[in-house]
Amino acid sequence: MEILKYVLKRILQTIPLLFIVSLVSFFIIRLSPVDPLAELKLNPSVSQETLQRERERLGLDKPIGIQYILWAKSFVKGDLGITSNGESVAQKLKERIPNTLLLTTLVIFLTWIVGIPLGILAAVKWKSPLDRILTVLTSIGMAIPSFFFAVLLLIFAVKTGWFPIGGLTGANYADLGFWGKFSDITKHLILPVTVLFTISLAGLQRQMRGNLLDVLDSDYVKFARAKGVSEFKVIFKHALRNAVNPMITLLGFEFAGLLSGAALTEYVFQYPGLGRLILEAVMKSDINLVMASLMMGAIMLILGNLIADLLLIFTDPRIRTGGENA
Amino acid sequence: MKIQGYVLSVILFLILFAGACIRRDVPQNITENSAQTETLSVNEYPVNRKNVTINGVDYLQTDAPVGNFGGTLINSTIGEGPKTFNPFNSKDATSSTLSDIMYDGLVTIDPVTGEYIPKLAKSFEVNGNDYIIHLRHGLKWSDGKPITADDVYFTWKNIILDGFGNTSTRDSIAVEGKLPTVQKLDNYTVKFTTPKPFAPFLASLSTPIAPKHVFEPAVKKGKEFFDTFMSTNIKPNELVISGAFKLTEYVPAQRAVYKRNPNYYVINSKGKKLPYLDKLVYLIVGDVNNEVLKFEGGELDVIGVRGTDVPRFRERQKKDDFSLGNLGPDTGTMYLSVNINDRKNKEGKPYVDPIKQKWFSDKNFRTAVDYALDRENMVYNVANGFAKPLFTPESLNSIFLNKSLRPYPRNLEKSKELLEKSGFYTDDKGRLFDKEGNRVEFTLMTNAGNTEREAIGVMVKQDLEDLGMKVNFKPIEFNSLVNKLLSTYDWDMVIMGLTGSPLEPNGGKNVWMSNGALHMFNQRGQDEYNIGVLPWEKELDYLFENGATALTFDKRKKYYDRYQEIIYNEKPMIYLYSPLRITAIRNKFKNIYPTSLGGVIHNIEEIYIDKEDKNGNP
Repeated sequence: MEILKYVLKRILQTIPLLFIVSLVSFFIIRLSPVDPLAELKLNPSVSQETLQRERERLGLDKPIGIQYILWAKSFVKGDLGITSNGESVAQKLKERIPNTLLLTTLVIFLTWIVGIPLGILAAVKWKSPLDRILTVLTSIGMAIPSFFFAVLLLIFAVKTGWFPIGGLTGANYADLGFWGKFSDITKHLILPVTVLFTISLAGLQRQMRGNLLDVLDSDYVKFARAKGVSEFKVIFKHALRNAVNPMITLLGFEFAGLLSGAALTEYVFQYPGLGRLILEAVMKSDINLVMASLMMGAIMLILGNLIADLLLIFTDPRIRTGGENA
Repeated sequence: MKIQGYVLSVILFLILFAGACIRRDVPQNITENSAQTETLSVNEYPVNRKNVTINGVDYLQTDAPVGNFGGTLINSTIGEGPKTFNPFNSKDATSSTLSDIMYDGLVTIDPVTGEYIPKLAKSFEVNGNDYIIHLRHGLKWSDGKPITADDVYFTWKNIILDGFGNTSTRDSIAVEGKLPTVQKLDNYTVKFTTPKPFAPFLASLSTPIAPKHVFEPAVKKGKEFFDTFMSTNIKPNELVISGAFKLTEYVPAQRAVYKRNPNYYVINSKGKKLPYLDKLVYLIVGDVNNEVLKFEGGELDVIGVRGTDVPRFRERQKKDDFSLGNLGPDTGTMYLSVNINDRKNKEGKPYVDPIKQKWFSDKNFRTAVDYALDRENMVYNVANGFAKPLFTPESLNSIFLNKSLRPYPRNLEKSKELLEKSGFYTDDKGRLFDKEGNRVEFTLMTNAGNTEREAIGVMVKQDLEDLGMKVNFKPIEFNSLVNKLLSTYDWDMVIMGLTGSPLEPNGGKNVWMSNGALHMFNQRGQDEYNIGVLPWEKELDYLFENGATALTFDKRKKYYDRYQEIIYNEKPMIYLYSPLRITAIRNKFKNIYPTSLGGVIHNIEEIYIDKEDKNGNP
């Protein structure tokens, strides 16, 4: 019951937040000197009448305040509107969401599966050569810009011919059998996943290592060790449970990142995901599409945080009691 | 010591890794390149096509060499992909290309001569204002319904003339506000009548013809519905087509796959129905660089090569299985435009700083700028020699090109003379001032991200700085730039490109007529029409009005020659160069006869894959 009330309260709190986010984003996009009709205007075969019709269709002939109210009204009703090309925004997003989810969940899954154990390992073997090597590698991972790494890998793919040059499926995808499709997608995913994995792995591993090191330094761990508890038990039963809390918060942020995609990597690899769609939309000020994606990002972030907080309530008894007192 | 060791190993790792991946292109010298241009010649298109009637069906027979059936050709389109598969709604090149494959027009252009020749029509006659179209008998839509005059009448009357979808076809055929009429004479004959003699009308007959039984329900639901009709969400099996290929799969942001139409009306000399190819694939790639990589990786079969990439492709050609072809000057033109707008906006503020206004509206100043530009240098350094200097608004492959307008080399002496004549002077540091003592300084813009234009910008800046001008070169985002050009008019000079038709200069009326929507160099808003029209702008208006209504080529040419002469002399837009069109296509494809007007795959139904190569020959 307590938890339900808490969730309800959190959800109610998001409403003014979303309102402010939408207001700020809408005005920033609309006030930028980017003309959504630029391409049409530069086309000699498009007439003034057509342009005027387009302007009316997109609502550009109305004052910006009215434009916002119109947008907000339909957004509340669940209608995301149309893109500047007249396609349904919801449909466009629907086309891309599965692709982005495929990429991001895969990356998150891999980084957590690899990053957490590596973090623990580095903390346990603190200052050993292994820890140092991991430090060097993760530093490289953190320092290398994603798009640069992506470009390098792409050139690698061209030179060796081992991997397809971007995209998600090959030209003959529709003719393949199940395993053919599977291996086709796998081949296309390896490079983008490698880029995103390398970059997020570094952060996660460092975080885990740092947390665990802090905990290992605390009195109760020393006490457990002094009591003669086996090192395995010390780490996995006592230290890890406490070190994992900040990681759960981090997981909430990762959840928010599920749909925001990785625009630069997607762009370099021509990956048909949300990031690329939205990047292109921002470039031509395709307001409905940009707004939909920004709102989606905001909602996912709020949702991610909520989930993380709830998870913390379950994992950490301290927060549970603290919540009741407050 | 230890840290140094780590750092060293990291650096070593990076060097090895990067070194394996990147190999610098060998720089080519100028003379070598210009010699190479000549060697990239292409075969001439030797094919004749004639109508033959077999079992009551009027086929179009080609005498191109007979090939084998089957196989796939993978092409590409740059950008976000198509926005619609409705040929009447398309407003961008990608959508047009991808929908026009499926719908033939009544006429098409001869890829060699540029004349209009029958396609879906069996033949046509032109008598003054009347255009009589005879349709082929026995042709069928892909769902088996016959193609008749009703479809043509419906397409023209109910879609085009009634203003459904993209109205640009309708706008382009209006003569003084009046539209042509269309009449069905019998089941296979249609007559069009233009209100006045109007030469560009013939070109508009290449517009696709729609199947009435599919489009009529959509038209009945009104314009708003029609705008979303046959959007990219359409299920491919709902399409009813007349063209050589039919869409079978569309994957957003990845590709569109087409399958051959087994009932197409073009046959080979043995009477077999074309096209040869089984599938045609268009990959949707985000940018040019990715397209090049995909071609190099073997994922693409055909590609347009930028001048800057030609040396790289030449190098690869030695080991790879494609050939390069030089199709001659492209329809694109690169120009430097000067803002000669001298009007004020609604708040009474001049669009252009009055000091600069004086320079820009001075013909001597513009001519001085022109003579200071080193076009040869741009051609060699930006386009690697794969371009030709340009001095006229018509592209070099235009059939209306005014050949009497001679090219001229860079001439700084003449520039300085002209500037002096208008009272400009340079101080002892070589800086240029106008006669009121203002430093000559202005902004030059282009759209950021277009590396070719950015490179030209740098060269223009250097060339003009030789005259003592201070040029602030500023590439800005495309949409913002267009906003400046067409809405706020607050720019000085800009480098842009336009694509015109090499066959029909009337398409340029939006640019050249004083009230045109793209009259960038002296743009007038709707409330400014006919205000401050310069004498030579008036003459341009006159020329474009009369050029369109004159009927014979020679009469039209006189008007369009004069318009080019005016631009050549007045220089509101200073033309720089026209790139050469270089293409690469894999050697396994036969019947490849690229032309300047048609491109590489204009005869897509005749292209086939050589069996020997298909069986693993490199």
